[in-house]
Amino acid sequence: MKILLIGMNHRTAPLEVRERYAAGDPGPALRKLVMSDEIEEAVLVSTCNRVDLIVTTRNLEDAVLRVHRFFRTDLIEGDTTAAGPSFDDFTYEYRDRDAVQHVFRVASSLDSMVVGEPQILGQMKEAYRIAIENEVCGPVLSRLFQRAFATAKRVKNETRIAERPVSVARVAVELARQIFEDFGDKSALLLGAGEMIELALFALQREGLREVRVANRTLANAQKLAARYAATPHRLDELESLLPGADVVLCCVGGDQPILGHAMVKQALDARRSRPVFFIDMGVPRNVDPRIQSLDNAFVYDMDDLQSVADANAGERRRESDQGEDIVREEQLHFDTWMAALKAVPTIRHLRARAEEIRSGELQRMAGRLRLDDRQRQGVEALTRGIVNKLLHAPLSHLRNEAETGAGVESLEAARVLFALDDSAAPGAAVDEALRREMERTRLAEASLDSKTPGTAETGGEANALDDDRRAFSTLSDTLNDGLDESLNGTSNASDEMGQEGDDR
Amino acid sequence: MVEFHQLAAAIYLAAGIGGLVGVVLPAPRMNRGAAWGLAIGAAVQTLAFATLHRVDSPPITSLPVVLASSAWMTVVFALLLTSRVRLPGLTAVVGPLAFLCVFVASLGWTTGSGMAIDESVMGTWPHIHVLLASAGLAMFGIAGLAGLFFLLEHRRLKAKPPVAASIPLPSLEALDRVNVVTTAVGFVLLTLGILTGMVWVNETRGAAWMGSTHEAWMVISWAIYAGLVAARYAGRQGARQAAASALAGFAFLVFGVMGVGVMI
Repeated sequence: MKILLIGMNHRTAPLEVRERYAAGDPGPALRKLVMSDEIEEAVLVSTCNRVDLIVTTRNLEDAVLRVHRFFRTDLIEGDTTAAGPSFDDFTYEYRDRDAVQHVFRVASSLDSMVVGEPQILGQMKEAYRIAIENEVCGPVLSRLFQRAFATAKRVKNETRIAERPVSVARVAVELARQIFEDFGDKSALLLGAGEMIELALFALQREGLREVRVANRTLANAQKLAARYAATPHRLDELESLLPGADVVLCCVGGDQPILGHAMVKQALDARRSRPVFFIDMGVPRNVDPRIQSLDNAFVYDMDDLQSVADANAGERRRESDQGEDIVREEQLHFDTWMAALKAVPTIRHLRARAEEIRSGELQRMAGRLRLDDRQRQGVEALTRGIVNKLLHAPLSHLRNEAETGAGVESLEAARVLFALDDSAAPGAAVDEALRREMERTRLAEASLDSKTPGTAETGGEANALDDDRRAFSTLSDTLNDGLDESLNGTSNASDEMGQEGDDR
Repeated sequence: MVEFHQLAAAIYLAAGIGGLVGVVLPAPRMNRGAAWGLAIGAAVQTLAFATLHRVDSPPITSLPVVLASSAWMTVVFALLLTSRVRLPGLTAVVGPLAFLCVFVASLGWTTGSGMAIDESVMGTWPHIHVLLASAGLAMFGIAGLAGLFFLLEHRRLKAKPPVAASIPLPSLEALDRVNVVTTAVGFVLLTLGILTGMVWVNETRGAAWMGSTHEAWMVISWAIYAGLVAARYAGRQGARQAAASALAGFAFLVFGVMGVGVMI
C-alpha cells in the first residue's frame, strides 16, 4: 500500500488559487474518487491556507494522474476551463514517508503560516470526520490521522510552540493579563473608532471586560462601534473625565501631538488611588506621551513595543519548532514500522496456512495406514505441528523483522518464490481459496466498521464519532497486527507445546 | 519526632522542585502535583507537632520550634492563597523555603533532650504566643515573597524595549492583592502575638516589659508594619512601594526574630 499526498498551501499558491479548490462539501467528490480503481482511501484537508489530498493506492503513477483529475474536474465541477496558471505550478507532491511526515507536520502546526496556531488540528479532525462519514477512509489513513493527532498532542505538550502569542492583538491581551488578574471588573476606554482599535477590542473583550467606552472626535463613528460591542459612545473632549475610570486605554487617533499628556494621566492615576492602567498606543505618531511610562502604575505599550514582543515570541516558537520536528520524525518512524509490518501479514498468513494444509493433509493420508489410537494420534499431531512450527519460526520471524525495518520487500518476494505461494498447483494450494475468502470477510468487516461511524456522528457529535472511529480502526489495526503476532506466536507456542509433550513422553 | 520534620522537609523540597519545573516548562499538572506535595508535607509536619510534648523536644518558645511552625503555617497559608488566586511560581519558592526552615529546625530539634523541662513555657500563653507570632511571621513572609515577585514583574513590564516573559509569574494585581491581605492579617497576628507575649512574661516574671533586645526589636517591627498598613489603607502608598516595603519589612522582621536571638 502506498500513500500519496498532493496539495497546495500558502507558500505555494496565492489565495485566489487556493480558494478555487476550497471545497465546501468534498464528500461527493471524495466518494467518486475512491470508487475509481486507482484510489483506495482518501482524505481532503481544505482550509483557507491549504488544500491537501491524501490517498492510498497500489499504483502511485496511476494515482497521481487520478488525483490531478480530481483537482481539475471533480473538486471544482463546472470550472474545468477556468483560465489562469496551471494547477501543477502551485502544487507539491509527497509520497509514502514524506507524505506521512507532511501530515504529521501539518497536524502539529509546524507547517502553518503562524507556527503553533491551534486551529489546524481542529480542521484536520473535521476533514477526517468527513472522510469517515463518506466511507472513504480505511485502516491506513485512519491510522495515519490518529497518529497525526497523537503527534500534534505530543508536540503541543512537549514543546512550548503554542504558548506565546504572535499577533499584536494577542500580545496586548497577554500583557494585560500580566497586569490584571480578572477582567470581569475592568473597564476599557477606546480613543478612536478605527479598524485597529476594533481588532484589539475584539481580543480584549473575549477576556470578559465589564465595561467598554468609546470616545471619538466624530460621535457618529463612536456610536457605530459602540453599538457593535455594547459599549457607550462619548465625545473625545470628555477624555479627562473618562480616564480615571479606565483600566485599559486603547488609542488610535490622528494628530501631531499626543492626546494623553503626562499631567492628565498623573492626575487620573492619583484619582484611581494608584490602581494600574494599561495603555495600548496604536497611533502613529504616538497618542500617549512616552514620559507616562515613568509614572508608577502606568504601563505604556506602543505598536513597536507590541511588535517586538510578537517577534520575540515568533522567534521562540521557531526555536521550539525544531524540537517539534524531532517528535514528528520519531512518530513518522513508528508509522513506517507499522506500515512495513503490515506488508508481511498476508505472506505470513499464507505461508502458515499452506504449511498447515500440507501437515494436516499428510497426516490424514497416513492415519488410515498407521492405525493409530486416539492417544497416539494426538501425539503424532503434536509432533508434526511442532516440526512445522519449528521449521517456520525462523523464516517467519525474519520476514516480520525485515518488514519492520523496511527492508523486507525482497525477503517477502523471496519467501513467496521459495514456498511457491503464488503457484496454484503447489502442495497445499487448496487452502488459497479459503484464505482469500477469509481476507474478503476481513475487508467486509472493515467496511462495516466504517459504515457504522457516521450514524454515531449524527447522534453523538464529533467527539463521539472520532472516539468510536478510533476504537473501530484500532480493532481493525489490532486484527492486522494480531495476524502477525498470531502467526509468529503460534510457531513458538506450538514448539513449546511439542517440547513439553516430548518431555512427557 | 524529628524524623517527621525531616520527612516533611524532604517532601517540601520535592514539591518545590516540582513547582519550579512546573513553572519553567510550564506544566500545570506538575504545579498541581507540587501543591499536593506541599499539602502532604504539611500533614506530615502536623503529625510531628502532635508529638511535641510526648517525647524529648525543645521548648515551644525555642528557635527550632518557631522556625518549624512558621514554615508549616507559611505552607498552609500559601496553599489557601493558591486555591483562591492564580499564583504560578509560589509553590516553587515556598517549597524550598519551607524545606530550609524545617531542615535547620530539625538540626537543633534535640536541644531539649536531657534538660530539665522549663515549666514557664508549658502554659497556655506561650503556646498562643508562639502560634500567633509564627502565623504573623508566615503572613509577612508571604507578603515579602509577593513583594519580590511584584518588583520583578513590574520591572519586566516597564522595560524598554519590552521583554517577553520567560517564566509566567502571577499578575501584578494578584500579587498586590496578596500583599494587601497578608500584610493586614499578619499585622493583626503580630499585634496579638506581642500582646500574648507580654501577658505570658507578666505572669512568669511579674512585669509585661522586661526590656530585652527581642522585645525591643519586635516592638520596632510592629511599629514599622503599623506604618505600612496605615500608609496603604490611607492611599499614600502605591502597589510598587508596598511591594518593596513588604520585602524590606520581612527582612527586618526575620532579623528581629532570629538574627537578634543568635547574634546579640
